[in-house]
Amino acid sequence: MFKKYIFFFTLSVFSFAVSAQTTFPVNGVHDNNHNYSAFKNATIFLDGDRKIENATMLIKDGKVVQIGNSVAIPKNTVVYDLTGKYIYPAFIDLYSDYGLPSSKKPKKGNEENHPNVKKEESKKGAYGWNPAIHPEFKAQSKFNINSKESEELRKIGFGAVLTHYQDGIARGTASLVSLDDESNNLSLLKGNAAAWYSFKKGKSQEDYPSSLMGSIALLRQTYYDAKWYQSNLADEYNISLDAFNSIQSLPQFFDATDYLTVLRADKVGDEFGKQYFFKGNGDEYKRILDIKNTNGKFIIPVNYPKAFDVEDPYDALLISLEDMKHWELSPTNASVLYNHQIEFSFTSEGLENKKDFLKNIKKAIENGLPANVAINALTKIPAQFINAQDKVGTLDDGKLANFIITSDSLFADECKIYENWVVGKRMVVEDYTLPDITGNYSLNIDGKVFKLTVKGKEPSYKAFVKTETDSTKHNVNLKRDGDLISLSFNIKEDLYRLSGNIATKSAIWHGMGQVSEGDWVKWSTIKSIEKIEEKKEEKTDSTKKSMGAVWYPNMAYGLDTSSVNPPTLIKNIKVWTNEKEGILESTDILLYKGKIHQIGKDIIAPEGTVIIDGKGKQLTPGIIDEHSHIAISRGVNEGSQSISAEVSIADVVNPDDVNIYRQLAGGVTAAQLLHGSANPIGGQSALVKLRWGRSTEEMKIKGADGFIKFALGENVKRSNWGSGDRFPQTRMGVEQVYYDAFTRAKEYQKEWAAYKKLTPKQLKKNPVPAPRKDLELDVLVEILEAKRFITCHSYVQSEINMLMHVADSMGFKVNTFTHILEGYKVADKMKAHGVAGSTFSDWWAYKFEVNDAIPYNAALMNEKGIVVAINSDDAEMGRRLNQEAAKAVKYGNVSEEDALKMVTLNPAKMLHLDSMMGSIKVGKDADVVIWSGHPLSIYSKVEKTFIDGICYYDAEKNEIINKQIQAERIRLINKMIEAKKNGEATQSAKPNKKPHYHCDGYEIDEDY
Amino acid sequence: MKIVISILLFSFGFLGNIVAQVPAPAPKQTKKILLMNGTAHLGDGKVIENSAIAFENGKFTIVSDATVIRLDVSKFDTVISVSGKHIYPGFIAPNSRLGLVEIDAVKATRDQNEIGEMNPNIRSIIAYNTDSKITPTVRFNGILMAQITPQGGLISGSSSIVQLDAWNWEDALIKEDDGIHLNWPKMFNQTGWWAEPGEFKKNEKYKDFTQKIDVFFTEALAYSKTEPQEKNLKYEAMKKVFSGERTLYIHSDYVKELQEAINFVRKFNLKKVAIVGGYDSWMLADQIKENNISVMLRRVHDLPVRPEDDVNLPYKMPKILLDAGVMICLENSGDMEAMGTRNLPFYAGTAAAYGLSKEEALKLITLNTATILGINDNYGSIQTGKSATFFVSDGDALNMTTNNVVLAYIDGRMIELTNHQLQLYEKFKSK
Repeated sequence: MFKKYIFFFTLSVFSFAVSAQTTFPVNGVHDNNHNYSAFKNATIFLDGDRKIENATMLIKDGKVVQIGNSVAIPKNTVVYDLTGKYIYPAFIDLYSDYGLPSSKKPKKGNEENHPNVKKEESKKGAYGWNPAIHPEFKAQSKFNINSKESEELRKIGFGAVLTHYQDGIARGTASLVSLDDESNNLSLLKGNAAAWYSFKKGKSQEDYPSSLMGSIALLRQTYYDAKWYQSNLADEYNISLDAFNSIQSLPQFFDATDYLTVLRADKVGDEFGKQYFFKGNGDEYKRILDIKNTNGKFIIPVNYPKAFDVEDPYDALLISLEDMKHWELSPTNASVLYNHQIEFSFTSEGLENKKDFLKNIKKAIENGLPANVAINALTKIPAQFINAQDKVGTLDDGKLANFIITSDSLFADECKIYENWVVGKRMVVEDYTLPDITGNYSLNIDGKVFKLTVKGKEPSYKAFVKTETDSTKHNVNLKRDGDLISLSFNIKEDLYRLSGNIATKSAIWHGMGQVSEGDWVKWSTIKSIEKIEEKKEEKTDSTKKSMGAVWYPNMAYGLDTSSVNPPTLIKNIKVWTNEKEGILESTDILLYKGKIHQIGKDIIAPEGTVIIDGKGKQLTPGIIDEHSHIAISRGVNEGSQSISAEVSIADVVNPDDVNIYRQLAGGVTAAQLLHGSANPIGGQSALVKLRWGRSTEEMKIKGADGFIKFALGENVKRSNWGSGDRFPQTRMGVEQVYYDAFTRAKEYQKEWAAYKKLTPKQLKKNPVPAPRKDLELDVLVEILEAKRFITCHSYVQSEINMLMHVADSMGFKVNTFTHILEGYKVADKMKAHGVAGSTFSDWWAYKFEVNDAIPYNAALMNEKGIVVAINSDDAEMGRRLNQEAAKAVKYGNVSEEDALKMVTLNPAKMLHLDSMMGSIKVGKDADVVIWSGHPLSIYSKVEKTFIDGICYYDAEKNEIINKQIQAERIRLINKMIEAKKNGEATQSAKPNKKPHYHCDGYEIDEDY
Repeated sequence: MKIVISILLFSFGFLGNIVAQVPAPAPKQTKKILLMNGTAHLGDGKVIENSAIAFENGKFTIVSDATVIRLDVSKFDTVISVSGKHIYPGFIAPNSRLGLVEIDAVKATRDQNEIGEMNPNIRSIIAYNTDSKITPTVRFNGILMAQITPQGGLISGSSSIVQLDAWNWEDALIKEDDGIHLNWPKMFNQTGWWAEPGEFKKNEKYKDFTQKIDVFFTEALAYSKTEPQEKNLKYEAMKKVFSGERTLYIHSDYVKELQEAINFVRKFNLKKVAIVGGYDSWMLADQIKENNISVMLRRVHDLPVRPEDDVNLPYKMPKILLDAGVMICLENSGDMEAMGTRNLPFYAGTAAAYGLSKEEALKLITLNTATILGINDNYGSIQTGKSATFFVSDGDALNMTTNNVVLAYIDGRMIELTNHQLQLYEKFKSK
């Protein structure tokens, strides 16, 4: 019964094949082949989990007919005996641009080769406004076979790839193509198989977006626009939005540059009900629990970084611990994903040498990835990701005959790929039918006998001869072409040139040769029985040695365990309360469950409390930096447009910035991470606590109000850089940007208000389109509705007054003027407007507009009753803000308590966080600093910094950590040196320094 | 006629003079002045708790413990009681672009960086602007001298040492053309620009540059041995480097570059050399000492260069180098340079917080600096016979809350402490 069924099935395939005629005219006689091929006696893996020993696979017309131990072989079958060999489904690479135009940026003057993303071209067609959004791009319409690339991929085992144009943010659709070279029509297995996205702007010539947060905002806006467009109420026809909507039902793939991008993209996806598949970067292990929480599936590369040359300790100084740890741990990435039940497939992307692909997957297996999972990650899983499991990914009846023949089980040390069959077409990688010719031979040339030794493998052999009497080795130039062989060598003056044939399974060679005198002579060889014993050097298995732990973050000062939170009682310490109690001498303070639980004398601590003797020390609230640019990924400015309210620093907070730890060492516990000052209306801020070691989301302060950066003056006008063609170029223009923005915002607000008033009944009766959701205007409306608050970068009095006028007349308030270096000139007006001032202690003269900046600014504003803060705008100054506050005492005689408030309570007020932090009060967050002495003294040091009652910095422990960092470096340096000895490729040392941002620094580049 | 003056008169004395933004230089000292009962920090490591300090004709005549010396106060024209206050030698800011750059972002006001690779003949002093609005704000915190230093190129030019109260650069000079500044090439360059710094890249031209320097010094040395008919200004400028009359300042930080720089010093047998920057110099302390090289240590208030460096490493660096026996002083180049000069005392304060005594820390901005600059015979400490260039502060001048300069003298001349910023303060205070 079963057999009959099979028979019927094969028949149906047959009939299908007959009817599947090509549309192309044939030049000559039709040459179709409907024979069967059978592969006998092989070990066949149908996928990673199903193996049949000693099996036969029957294929026909590019498809698998049957696999099993008893397969009937029709007469018109070509039979291959694969005794001892293995068959696996061919691999699938989901991240590829095979056969598509390159996405590399063209050199100047060479702009062909990028389809419909050229600026002028995108302007010409009815496309969307931003060329980085080109969902209309269809891989299938630009796909062209590239034999060179396909051959390279076939050699390492691939049979099909998902190819897409790797450019831009919304990239369009990808096609599943097979890697045979016959015709584009036959190669395309699935035209629109998936849609791809990224946060990389790519080749677009448009200025926007210039930052990561800009890319994120643009993608978000595109989702909204597409939804609005779908409701079919737009007046315009927009090819891009139309296409965007039409590809939403496909699997959605996201090209992420690192694990942080994965988390960021997932967040955007969640907002729009999309679950992306992520093309990761191989660093997912760094925050695996967050990665797990995305519920995403992954495509991961195996391009592990090379070890560094670290023999020279001065060179080694340059290499960051982060890079060292990543070198060690990146081969564990796949097994870490596996251990967390995250599905993934492999890609060969990023490999310098594609031949390392399987070798590197073996490394993943050595590091704990089960082999069956690895096989599935190469075959079945990628097919499932793109819903192509009916065609590829496993070897089952009816699926495409995409498979590889290997010499051994796939991950065995000496395993070779012999053949790669793509859709039933044979591609020979290495001819297994070629007999092995390595060995020792007795070579007879016209009666003279030599000893010949052949080593190496096809196609490059090494051979030498010795005479019978002498042990000197003479090199032989040996060339083999199938069964033909030629040898030439010198022994002293005598030159031997031989050519001939390999016969009798390689044991006997014979032919004719010419010797020095020109005489033709007969020659022959007979193989000796003994084998060449190659001494294998025992490689020390470095993987068996201990692996370093992942640190959070995985770099210097990262934590290897999550920080604990026991109750903490600090006894007999001098407390700067910032409350009406003022400074309390010799007081106890209990930090419990993240809050300041009790303040007083002789507090009785709960069990398990850590007790700290505070005698001689002083305690203050944690320092809050109103203006910081640390911990931000890929750009603080989206300066390409004069308004970029839609972008948000909250989207790009980077928890892996060592400056977080450095700020903790300066007593900083919270900060406003601000957009830069390149445009009048910048981006939204992120309010964070410096919870080092935690994730981006954990750093953010829950329930904090939203803030946004505005800016005035030279940076906005681009006085010191820029082409001079972006409006505004003067302070006069800046005012108009604001009026225009808020005028539009009000109209938008009205439009939505009117729409929201409509009852469902009214809407049903008279359908009115919902207004287009505009993320930029949404934020401006939030400002008008006092739901979002402005921190405005500002310098000179005229513009400060201007913005207050704009605000008054448009009905909003400016929350804080930041920098505000001429605040002292307009303090009365600021007071009247109710705006706070957050200033530098003593910066000035770095540009023209700060020529009247004075260090007495804080004091004068303070005297006028303005809430005054001193901020850093600088990672260095940020960790000495107590000293910057001390300057307010020096310049203008501010009281010490008021000065301390300028870096604690006052910034908390500005950020609307003063109910939670900024003073020592029962119930407030346990964000406190223990100082060795007076908190404003240059001689005082931070001893401990607590956030939520957790000690994130401890000066004593820091000394131990420094030693641990050294030990970890030395361990890794030893490991790298050993790896190099074992023949691993290495790279030369170079520094890895992360950028430090200022919104406003100005430095002349004098580096040589 | 003797006058005993309360210090209060002086501290508010400048209020009357708010006309000129940059105050007029003080006239030559004509009177004999005695300061009594202040705590004198001499700059050489010693402190006199209750001091008697007298000066005339611009020189210290008495530097003594008031409790052990017999003084006839009638011999002084002015006797000032500075009881409870602190006396310091004038602080010295080396490697500074003070007076060369007025507003960083305005090109027209930048005169610190000439084009060209080898500019030993370029002289900073002639561009030094004695009327810079920044200078009075710097004096205000006790910095009374500076080494005005050109920047850029491989050899930037020669620096000169000035005092900060002068009509013109000729007046200001303490030591003209004290040394030549060589920027040792960097092995790695950071890509990107200031607002968006990028990756580090190997400097492919590093060897080219070091060779260029080698060739230049070789040629200049050969040139210095004769009196050629055709003068070469660049080589002329180098002569005194070889003779040891001018210091060669080598700006460098990374240990490999420093090592090559030291080898270079040995090769040319250079007699007076100082490393400027010197982040990694603690690693080469022995060689630095052996070759009589001193170090002008880069800004103490800085971030660690490498992510794994101890978070407090820049603060600890002075202690580390002094413990290794290296002669060091503190410099201030970098972001916010000219206007940040006024924070020099606080760098010393931080050095004291991280392991040095306050007096040791003070040396790093006074006597050590003078020694490295070669002006210690007359400046850098409070010592009989030396120039009366010093100031009186209400409190500890190395600490922000207590640094409050109430009297300052340069060569015995009592200088005005007012400045543009103070004037704006007074103006708007009364608004």
